[in-house]
Amino acid sequence: MSGRGFDYVRAADSADAVVLGAQPGAAFLAGGTDLMQLSKAHVQAPGLMVDISRLPLSMIVAVDSELHLGALARLSDVAAHPDVARHAPLIVAAVASSASGQIRNMATLGGNLLQRTRCVYFRSDDFPCNKRLPGSGCGALDGENRQSALFGASAACVATHPSDLAVALVTLDADVDILGTAGARRVRLADVYRLPGDTPQFDTTLAPDDLVTGVRIGDAARFAPRSTYLKVRDRAAFEFAVVSVAAALRLENGVIVEARLVAGGVAPLPWRLTHSETALIGRRPGASAFAAAGGLAVTDARPLVQNGFKVDLLRRAVIRALETVGGEA
Amino acid sequence: MTGDPVLRYEAGLKVTGQAMFPAEAPMAGLLHAVLVTTPIGCGEVVDLEASQARLAPGFADLVSYSEAEALKPSGVTALIRERTIHFPGQPVALVAAETLQAARVAARAVTVEVRSRAAVTAIDQALDQAFAAATVGRWPAASRRGDADAALAGAHLVVRERYDTAVNNHHPMEPCAVVCAWDGDTVTVHTTTQAVFGTRAIIAHAFQMPLTNARVVTRFLGGGFGCKGQLWWPWMMLAMLASKRTGRPVRLELTRAQMFTLVGRRQETVQDMALGLDVEGRLTAITHHALAQTSTHGDYSDTTARVSRYLYACANVTTGHTLVRTNEPQPVPMRGPGVGPGTFALESALDEAADRLDIDPVDLRIRNFADHDQDAGRPWTSNRLLECFRLGAERFGWSRRPARGTASGGRFRIGWGMASSCYPAHRQACRARVQLNADGSLLVQCGTQDMGSGTYTVLGQMAAEALGVSIAEVTVELGDTVLPEGPFSGGSQVTASLAPAVETATAALRAKLTRWATDDPLSPLFGCAEDGMAFRDGLIVSRTGNAAESLAALLTRLAPEGADAEGSAAAPAVDQAFTAMGWGAVFVEVGVDPDLGEVRARRVGAVFAAGRILNPLLAKSQYVGGLIGGIGMALHERTVTDRASGRILGDGFADYLIPVHADMPAFDIAMIDEADPHLPGGIQGVGMLGSVGIQAAIANAVFHAVGRRVRHLPIRIEDIIG
Repeated sequence: MSGRGFDYVRAADSADAVVLGAQPGAAFLAGGTDLMQLSKAHVQAPGLMVDISRLPLSMIVAVDSELHLGALARLSDVAAHPDVARHAPLIVAAVASSASGQIRNMATLGGNLLQRTRCVYFRSDDFPCNKRLPGSGCGALDGENRQSALFGASAACVATHPSDLAVALVTLDADVDILGTAGARRVRLADVYRLPGDTPQFDTTLAPDDLVTGVRIGDAARFAPRSTYLKVRDRAAFEFAVVSVAAALRLENGVIVEARLVAGGVAPLPWRLTHSETALIGRRPGASAFAAAGGLAVTDARPLVQNGFKVDLLRRAVIRALETVGGEA
Repeated sequence: MTGDPVLRYEAGLKVTGQAMFPAEAPMAGLLHAVLVTTPIGCGEVVDLEASQARLAPGFADLVSYSEAEALKPSGVTALIRERTIHFPGQPVALVAAETLQAARVAARAVTVEVRSRAAVTAIDQALDQAFAAATVGRWPAASRRGDADAALAGAHLVVRERYDTAVNNHHPMEPCAVVCAWDGDTVTVHTTTQAVFGTRAIIAHAFQMPLTNARVVTRFLGGGFGCKGQLWWPWMMLAMLASKRTGRPVRLELTRAQMFTLVGRRQETVQDMALGLDVEGRLTAITHHALAQTSTHGDYSDTTARVSRYLYACANVTTGHTLVRTNEPQPVPMRGPGVGPGTFALESALDEAADRLDIDPVDLRIRNFADHDQDAGRPWTSNRLLECFRLGAERFGWSRRPARGTASGGRFRIGWGMASSCYPAHRQACRARVQLNADGSLLVQCGTQDMGSGTYTVLGQMAAEALGVSIAEVTVELGDTVLPEGPFSGGSQVTASLAPAVETATAALRAKLTRWATDDPLSPLFGCAEDGMAFRDGLIVSRTGNAAESLAALLTRLAPEGADAEGSAAAPAVDQAFTAMGWGAVFVEVGVDPDLGEVRARRVGAVFAAGRILNPLLAKSQYVGGLIGGIGMALHERTVTDRASGRILGDGFADYLIPVHADMPAFDIAMIDEADPHLPGGIQGVGMLGSVGIQAAIANAVFHAVGRRVRHLPIRIEDIIG
């Protein structure tokens, strides 16, 4: 590891994990696919690793129309589960496009949602980064910013959220079950993430001792016939999205009555394209509706020097994703 | 035997984890070392404050410029003897401790006080200080044949464009490492080197001792691609100094991040290319000028523009190489050095000419075939480029090439492109020893190292065939300076150098055994003619086939301790009558998503003519490996410098993209086996040849798919949709 010591403790149960997680410098260790990298690179140096990997939180089950995914479910198990495929093929598509087979075998659902940004300035302590070291500046703002955000960034931070799964889950209005010091609560996943503002060191609204125990997706199946996850990347596998788009439509009598469009790789969090969604409602699927939705997706984009191409790429990706889901049912 | 697809000699050792790589050399009492580096890119070290580090648990030693003054000054030791800082991440000290963890903690506790000066972090910051390279490899950096400017002025068509290539890093799976141990005045050094004998020589020089006091061992090497050469030596010597001072073995292994800064890189190039062609598509002029980065502590220029001097027939050719110093890491050769980036420009420009003249790209190249080396003014030992075109086009189905932008496969537009490949055939002096034992087993020895490309196997094949014993009876020993001296690994020359030495050694041993048999009244071969004696199936057989004796019987009777012979071959004289080159033609099919910009190589067909092929399995592996490296250069690999700090960004495999399995096209490799009578042993290198041409072929295929000419590498999404 980094050479610096840390304490390791295995949580006995979820309540024990929350107590341990409240200690200063504690971090929850699940699959370890991100935390180990961050620790080795001196980006994050927890003094206490609270191993939650053995907690019984890996269930994947459909209860009536609701899909329950345990926070410790491995990504490979999520992608291979028949209930997930039946209710939410979008999740399968997003997970299958993530990382590599080996990493999906280790990485957990909760860890995937809480992974840190891939911004290269964040990932090495050689560089200034307000997210890693508040007040040190943002190296990407005037530096290498090809991968940086088009939306929701601030002068302090232009990093993007890397998760494919989070994009799919926000598309499906997923809720997150959280166990904290004050007890259990449920919040929308979209409300877990936050914009950087002046405090980019906080990726989420969670407290340090908040333990994500699971994710619930209600009535995901309504989108199952018409949903897709489109991921544009620099190589064919094992790479984060340059731009990704999750699209889900529901049609009645040939008319779009419900639409979800969420973009990845372009913002500090899964970026819901609400203008595009609204414009689709009441329209028949087709080139003109899709082109309008594509255009509306990027009207608020604020590109930097190197990521301007992502504006048009996102527009095109929205149109392509809609073409994929908008055909004859 | 030679020519057969014999499996790797060391395959079993490698797949069972028994092959010992240098970093794994077992040593009792081993200390672990970590480098202390400086974040600044330009300046001097004022002081090292190490009192906290010395108090850290397990601390054993710290060596820096003060301790390195014990080393004899040379170009190699300058970097560690002096306080000058040339690039960010430059080591200024080494800490050795009882464990790797302890060494890391202690190294981070060292405070480096520096005096910083403004650093140059990009070529374009110092263009006004560009200077002409002195040489490119062993060739002049500039050339002029005829009058290219005048010919361009009168040309029917001029293609004048700029082509850029990015910085790449070598990244063999095995990082550079050393495990060394002193015993009095002698030292054993297990290290990752492409040159065990060169490493021994520099160690002896730096530590001012006889060659025989140093033994360098590299039994197996996990790839090198050019980065396991002289830039590794200074850091290796810091570990050796710590070992000498502590009297204990020391192990140093570079981190993946350090592999970006400490052992070289493929330099970025900015290439200005102009082609003049007549109405028939014949080249009337070529000008090719390469601008490239070098460091502030060493000059290095690839042979980038040199390929334009000889690949095609052209009466008027001007080439040149210019360098700019930056406070970035030092470039060195990297697989297909010079010729890979250089052909990206030349073969792209030729494709542009073919398009504008509406001539098929293969046909255009055939029209410009060089029937001799116009640069050196002498014949080729052989040049089967036309046959490579013909066979390659046939196997790929080139005659069915669709019209530009018309073919599609799902969301992808299909494009076909092609390019020529070539690489100079090199050879060095080499010695080899063979020993036949009374039990019929054969030992073959040469000190040169196996890069992982199959040297063990082909050496065993050559010796076994010459002496008529089964490959299963052969033991091969390589990678150790106590063995007969062989060449360094670079420029694809090891096999070509070994072959004549092995032939000389085995011929000498055959002669010795033949004479023993024909002189010995107890042998069935007594009195037979020495001429025409055959060695096969463990027997010596007379020319007529009527008399034979087993090698085991002969040796048991006359030399129970075994019989041996050494052979050697000299390096070729500088002034040769011929130019030896390997040739190839590369055909590629890409899929390009015109809306989303993704480019994927779908199919690669390549034909190579590179002398005699000793083992088609190994040769194919080398070609495919080279082509994959070329795909990486064309579509993925790019080392990024943060211009504000001069430091490398994303210095790991998460951000330095290389092709993964899902990026792999289908490969169809064909080899034109040829007897090259002008080459001793008939062997040319194959490793570099595969890394050349594929880059331009991909760019040309992208143009064919979507009509967009991308003139820089790697080709990325924004180049397609931008």
